[in-house]
Amino acid sequence: MTFLSTVALRRVAALGLAAVSLAACNNKRVTRMDPARVTDLSGRWNDVDSKLVANALIEQTFGGPWTTQYTASHGGTSPTVIVGTFRNRTMEHVPIGTFVKDLERAYVNSGRVRLVASRDERTEMRDEREDQQVNASAESRARIGKESGANYMLQGDVQAIEDAEGREKIVFYQIDAFLVDLESNQKVWIGQHKIKKYIDRRRVGW
Amino acid sequence: MHTTLKVTMLLSAGLALAACNGPRRVQARPIMENGDRTESQDRMIARAAAEGNSGTARLTRSRDSVYTRAVASCRGTICASIVKGEISLGMTPEQAMAATRTSPAAWTVRESRDATVMVPRYLGNSPRDATGEVVMVQFDDKRLNAVSYRETQGIRVVSSASDTTTDGRAKAMADALIREGDQFNAAGDRARALDRYDRALALKADDIMLEYKIATMLDLQLRPVEAQIRYQRFLQELEIEQIEARGDANAKLADAIARAQQRLIVLERQTSVPVPSPDANPAPLPRPAADSTRAPVTPVKVPVDSTKVPVDSLLAHAAAAR
Repeated sequence: MTFLSTVALRRVAALGLAAVSLAACNNKRVTRMDPARVTDLSGRWNDVDSKLVANALIEQTFGGPWTTQYTASHGGTSPTVIVGTFRNRTMEHVPIGTFVKDLERAYVNSGRVRLVASRDERTEMRDEREDQQVNASAESRARIGKESGANYMLQGDVQAIEDAEGREKIVFYQIDAFLVDLESNQKVWIGQHKIKKYIDRRRVGW
Repeated sequence: MHTTLKVTMLLSAGLALAACNGPRRVQARPIMENGDRTESQDRMIARAAAEGNSGTARLTRSRDSVYTRAVASCRGTICASIVKGEISLGMTPEQAMAATRTSPAAWTVRESRDATVMVPRYLGNSPRDATGEVVMVQFDDKRLNAVSYRETQGIRVVSSASDTTTDGRAKAMADALIREGDQFNAAGDRARALDRYDRALALKADDIMLEYKIATMLDLQLRPVEAQIRYQRFLQELEIEQIEARGDANAKLADAIARAQQRLIVLERQTSVPVPSPDANPAPLPRPAADSTRAPVTPVKVPVDSTKVPVDSLLAHAAAAR
């Protein structure tokens, strides 16, 4: 009886130890971080790249003469921009929207550029306006044909060049953005940002 | 001892070779590392807003003072034009600025005695009024006497009251389209020439010579049925009885009538038989008279078979007749 209980106790202890060991493997840890902090893990396109691109484009767009020239020629009225297509020409997944939205925020919040809804966004607006013509009261109805036409369209692309040897890799991203006059097709502003990353995957590291 | 030496040498050689093909470590100094911080966008936006606000406020003040002066000195239709945003003849420089909702920052002003010329300061950013993009405003004794607009077909100058009307604008646009059509025709691009003449006819429906040009273009493009209709329309629209052979213009018109009549006969004969394939040669056009400018108005009865004439000379006649 005593022998049996000793064996059972040993088994229970072993099982408990195994369970604790397994639980220890699942050491999930979540911490909140400052979004402005640089954190590079894999070397692929990440939030830091997006932020750097947005910052560079914001600085370049307000540094260029296109807004001041337009405003001076139109008695202080700001130019109107529509966001066109930004293409990702890399093999990697690059979410374009993050830095484009940052740029849009800078345009609107600075008060120096007016922004109109893009092609995708305005479809919903027009549907709603159409619906109002039937269902909304006359005094609250949004009128048709009062949209603002854009003066310029923002377009751009992201391109990447990779170079790898063994466990080392260089990734180069070039982000080009430009504003095109919708009437004359003239490019009135070109912004550019380049990112070069060195990725070294050593076998042993400290 | 000997063996140990050999092994040592082999190992050294192996290490040396391995070192040659070793990783080429990049020794560039990093510009950003984990833990660094990126610049705050809010600060950048606030800076841009502050810069923009000061410039906009200055421009708005300047524009407002121009408006005040412009409205204080305006009367009647000029006041209405300012409100509507249209430049009109007789305005002062301030009133022209007010009509385009601009301030002096938008213009380069040059003065010479009584003449003043205002041109946009920034190319590609020309001020606009309700009519279009303004490229030059001219004043005589501080009163606007001509304004030029950049239109699709070129520059349009408004220097008289008739030019400012809708009809005047349509006529100017039609003339520009006809010029463009003539250029395409001269370059041998008949499809585009026909397109321009067609568009011009929509704006200038009473131009019968345009109808004749369109008929000729259709004829040259081997479209006999349409050409026939156009020739007929050209002839119908002319009040032939009223045309007298007085002066060169009527003589040229009479020449065009005669040619259209002859061509109509040819086309009627052609269309009575199966329509030719597009790769077939076009039917020859009538030969102009030796001195068509002085030709009498009496209808010319030219035998159909002898109507071999270069097309260009025919078109030149039609253009001259205009």
